[in-house]
Amino acid sequence: MAEEVHLGLPGPWAADYREKADHYTTKIGGVPDWPTGDMGIKPEMLQCSLCGTKLCLVAQVYAPVVKLNIEERIIYVLVCPTPECGPRPQSWKVLRVQKCRNVEQTEGDGDELGQGTGPSSTSVPEEQIDKNKSHDINDDDFDLDALAEALEQAATLASNSKKKNKSKCANAPIERPVLKEKPADLSIPVLPCFYIYYDKEQYRVKGAVGSSSNEFPLDKEMTDTGNYEEEKWDGEKYEYDKAIGADRTFLKFKKRLDAYPEQCFRYSYGGKPLLAATKVQDAGTCRFCGSPRQYELQLMSPLLYFLHEAGKGSSNYGPSNWTWLTLIVYTCSKSCCPSSCGGRPCGCCWDVAEEEITIQEDEAV
Amino acid sequence: MAERGGERGGERGGDRGGFGRGFGRGGRGDRGGRRGGRRGQRQEEEKWVPVTKLGRLVQEKKFATIEEIYLHSLPVKEHQIVEALVPGLKDEVMKITPVQKQTRAGQRTRFKAFVVVGDGNGHVGLGVKCAKEVATAIRGAIILAKLSIVPVRRGYWGNKIGQPHTVPCKVTGKCGSVTVRMVPAPRGSGIVAARVPKKVLQFAGIEDVFTSSRGSTKTLGNFVKATFDCLMKTYGFLTPEFWRETKFSKTPYQEFTDLLAKPTKGLMLEAPIETVEA
Repeated sequence: MAEEVHLGLPGPWAADYREKADHYTTKIGGVPDWPTGDMGIKPEMLQCSLCGTKLCLVAQVYAPVVKLNIEERIIYVLVCPTPECGPRPQSWKVLRVQKCRNVEQTEGDGDELGQGTGPSSTSVPEEQIDKNKSHDINDDDFDLDALAEALEQAATLASNSKKKNKSKCANAPIERPVLKEKPADLSIPVLPCFYIYYDKEQYRVKGAVGSSSNEFPLDKEMTDTGNYEEEKWDGEKYEYDKAIGADRTFLKFKKRLDAYPEQCFRYSYGGKPLLAATKVQDAGTCRFCGSPRQYELQLMSPLLYFLHEAGKGSSNYGPSNWTWLTLIVYTCSKSCCPSSCGGRPCGCCWDVAEEEITIQEDEAV
Repeated sequence: MAERGGERGGERGGDRGGFGRGFGRGGRGDRGGRRGGRRGQRQEEEKWVPVTKLGRLVQEKKFATIEEIYLHSLPVKEHQIVEALVPGLKDEVMKITPVQKQTRAGQRTRFKAFVVVGDGNGHVGLGVKCAKEVATAIRGAIILAKLSIVPVRRGYWGNKIGQPHTVPCKVTGKCGSVTVRMVPAPRGSGIVAARVPKKVLQFAGIEDVFTSSRGSTKTLGNFVKATFDCLMKTYGFLTPEFWRETKFSKTPYQEFTDLLAKPTKGLMLEAPIETVEA
């Protein structure tokens, strides 16, 4: 009944907050790793809608969707670094970058395909080597079979089109984009960077009725110490949890958080979000294809705590002003590609789509 | 670079505590030291990662006592806040009673636990939790009790010598059909009440009081909640000491925000400045 939820737990800090990884890495803070050097993203997509400052990266999540056969898909959560804009919901932006899966690619042949997948195949072998190494090392902790499957498919793709001309493609090996972007990077502030490893949430399933009967002897013992016959404690009924400051929804939220107190984000494609307050905004529909948006992941308060701790002492630091409890990201349920080469989906270009994000605030502030 | 990140992630795969430890040692610049320190420091079992802004402020030791939280009526949403601010908190399970629900497959029994926490010096809380297992119910009730901690006002019966020992005035609390009335008593009277509310009053730190109850006190759940409600009202009673106009001060959220604090011109009301524009 309950869908699987994957938790993003904090891993090691990056040695340098501006260090580059590949677009298969899931991390918090740092510089966004775009899949190719020149993404063709419109500059206003990377600017705050309130003040125009360049946005900085909060989270980059590699999120392939197995059901729709999309393995090149990353979600970037960006925010305006200025302290005034941080608490306002309009300064947050979510971009979904993916490469559309072409149906014919599964067969792995065709000249036009080869050229189409040329750019991707050069980058894939190099990144894939890195990925495989890290994959072996944190074997048990790492993500789903989805990731393994996705990499396998990418590997078959690469091996099939390896014979194609690599020199022809526009996007050369990785080094060049790094050198090109380095001067631009130092101008924007960057949040402290750390990497994420995944774990499945093992929420304890509610015990069967029979198990509680073992507790009866303990109960009797407790009542016998009192041994007051006139006290009956009659007429008790089931009561929902109640506290002066917190309502039932928040108490449930806190209970799930206490099970894994360091969870930075929760990922469940198409699942149900863990709400901190009952009021939830409607996600709306995707502005490109019109299909309804669905929940995909949510950022949690411990992430804010870690960023806050890392930035202590520095003035003008954005996260010091953030007071949200959770940030819920909704993405297009069909994971559509807004642009397509020549009117049909191809496998060569990366599409960038903006998705919806809602903030659940700590309303006491 | 990516595989370096991956390797370190692999080492610390199961070591969730390791990440938290790094913070205890200071800022960003201390990279080498941090790595060494992580291995050397003792493992904290369950380090509290605060969820709310108030929790973060409490963890940074920006509050000395819980009274500052009561002064601004800030909702306490994490029980660790209370544990950090109120030392010497004791808890006691008053009763565990089974509650039953009739289902098609027989009866479904759950346990309801009543827990009272207090420091015996003006702070008391009451928690009620239903759960399928006794241990879960007790644990949950202790947490709820800590979240519901309230201050209790004490006063004098007659001469104001020594420390306050009784309720400042006659107060009454109600829950269900049970009403409990507390009346100030002279020193040395002790707590004149039934066994169950007496426990709550002892945890609150009241030494002498006369009580009178009405209604179906057999429903002890309501009886104990009525007593707790009565204690909550002690600070709600306006007495001549409070006639002086309140001098408002900045809420902790404003006070501890360096950036958005506007300059104060004399008195300022408690509405926080940095509310999110919806």
